[in-house]
Amino acid sequence: MRVEFLGIPRERAGIAELELDANTLGELLTTLERRFPALGDVVVAGCLRSSFVANLNGDRFVTDPKTRLSSRDCVLILSADAGG
Amino acid sequence: MPSPPFGYHGCYLRIDVSNGSVARVPIADAVLRQFLGGSGLGAWLLIEESQSRPDALAPEAPLIFVFSPLVGSPLTTSAKFAVISKSPLTDRINDSLASSGFAIAGKRCGCDAIVILGRAASLSTLVIDDGRVRIEAVEDLRGASCPATEAAVKARLGTDYQVAAIGPAGERAVRYATISHDGRHAGRGGSGAVLGSKNLKAVAVRGTQRGEWAQPRALADYSKALSKRSFGPATAKYRELGTAANLLTFNRLGVLPTRNFQSGTFEEAPAISPEEIRQTRSRTRASCVACTIGCEHIYSLGAVLDEDKGVRLEYESLFALGSLCGVGDAGAVLRAVRLCDDLGVDTISAGGTIAFAMECVERGWLDQPWLTFGSGDAVLRAIELIGGREGVGDLLAEGSRRAAAVIGHNSIQFAPQVKGLEIPGYEPRALQTMALGFAVGARGADHNRSGAYEVDFSEKVDRRNVTVDAVRYAIETEDKAALMDSLIVCKFLRGVFEDFYSEAAEMLSLVTGWDATGDELRETARRIVHMKRQFNLQSGWTPEEDTLPDRFLDQALPNDPAATLSREQLGTLVTEYHRQRGW
Repeated sequence: MRVEFLGIPRERAGIAELELDANTLGELLTTLERRFPALGDVVVAGCLRSSFVANLNGDRFVTDPKTRLSSRDCVLILSADAGG
Repeated sequence: MPSPPFGYHGCYLRIDVSNGSVARVPIADAVLRQFLGGSGLGAWLLIEESQSRPDALAPEAPLIFVFSPLVGSPLTTSAKFAVISKSPLTDRINDSLASSGFAIAGKRCGCDAIVILGRAASLSTLVIDDGRVRIEAVEDLRGASCPATEAAVKARLGTDYQVAAIGPAGERAVRYATISHDGRHAGRGGSGAVLGSKNLKAVAVRGTQRGEWAQPRALADYSKALSKRSFGPATAKYRELGTAANLLTFNRLGVLPTRNFQSGTFEEAPAISPEEIRQTRSRTRASCVACTIGCEHIYSLGAVLDEDKGVRLEYESLFALGSLCGVGDAGAVLRAVRLCDDLGVDTISAGGTIAFAMECVERGWLDQPWLTFGSGDAVLRAIELIGGREGVGDLLAEGSRRAAAVIGHNSIQFAPQVKGLEIPGYEPRALQTMALGFAVGARGADHNRSGAYEVDFSEKVDRRNVTVDAVRYAIETEDKAALMDSLIVCKFLRGVFEDFYSEAAEMLSLVTGWDATGDELRETARRIVHMKRQFNLQSGWTPEEDTLPDRFLDQALPNDPAATLSREQLGTLVTEYHRQRGW
């Protein structure tokens, strides 16, 4: 699946997107945490910190690590606070 | 006079600039506890002082600067003030907030608010020196920009004065003119035009009357801990990228208003994103006085920051003068933002009105062939004309609702406004809880009085198809904003609080000595929302105003067919909102 970083998560990861395999959001976040240690203030112990959120395919916002993912999903990782 | 509560002076100054008279009017403790300060106390004062229900720009219409119990305390982000009046743009209540030293210096004049009435004989500065009032003619500053005015007044009076000023737009009654202080603006709804209608170019304050706190040691400890938390992940976005970071996120989600809300995506968004701009321009950060977040990102107009001090770039300015007008030239957007700041013009209403005019030109309803989507030069020219009320600028200075009435062709259906206030950078069809927040807002479509977009960016709702379940969430965000705007603390702190109402009660108790509780403050927030509505009712509000323009109803967002909000659906949400409010 494709993972896209936006805002602070992109700053921390240092890239805009990558391809990964994972069955659940928790698995995905654990992999990201391992590959990008600088994501430590975005992801902790396989969960998103409360200031961040994931979005599936531009549609649904999710935070539950048990959320099932498919290989066709595009997962966006972004700041939860959209205030301007 | 009995001692006021800690954190307050227990009175306000009522100043009539027609004759220079000043009265120190007591405020009952019960009123302070019920309405706190900022927007809440301002709404109460506006009703008290508007018994004749005047036109927004009439001499007898009050313009009110309001401080808060927390101003001057060591609490981070507390150096804020509210400006309250009837809006010349909406003819409804307008409460705009700004920050920094003016709040502290104004409160040290020994008052909790300053009510300004009348009209000075000539263009003047209202000088309040420790509570003593005088009016000084400043005819030579006619036409001066906001920063030039502030600098000139400080040069004359002394650098220990803090100055709030208008630019040429406020002098010329542009209906969305701002009041500027220290590069920031009480931006929305035209408070600058109201100050200009009083023939005041600036208000200068200094004072020595420091407040006292009920529990100074505990307050210092709490403040230190809060400041430490404000350095954490919840505010990283504001510190590192600023609010402009929304641009690419919103574009990716298809909710970035583009070409007068004709699309939710802008193909040139990357070119005007902060991620791109910082690659070619130097940047620095700044904070309001007494703030530990430092959300302001100031970009150079050229390759390096020079003596012109650059441009404060916020998401709302970036969207309004960028994607909304179809402009993908970062340099043009930065110059447009700077021009608005200099003239004293609200960037959101300027961008919204210009984008509306561009669509009218495109349809052949407005004969200004130069005013086309995508032209940065056109945006700059339009802003200049608006600031000077010259040519078509005289029409656009009226805002999109009034301009639509003149242009005709039923163009009101796509004038991007609610109650006359131009819509901020959140696409209502794809963010439908926010659509409700916009529709019912007391001052019109506003992202600072309703944070309902937070709900749309969560698991709580399906943002493209919200149901009445969303109404309570929209009310929660509106109540929370009302309390934050009355205490006052910055909304960028909101992610720092685990239980905002309990912490707000703790802050208020440490400052005032009251035994405030979270439940009490929930009631206070609701009371403040009701008070704003009360003013609107007196000004002629009807339930039919709580809606969106036709463009957003019964038609899908072109880039997102699933994003459709029916008139019936919005009507159901608004009716349920009114029911839950008890209206």
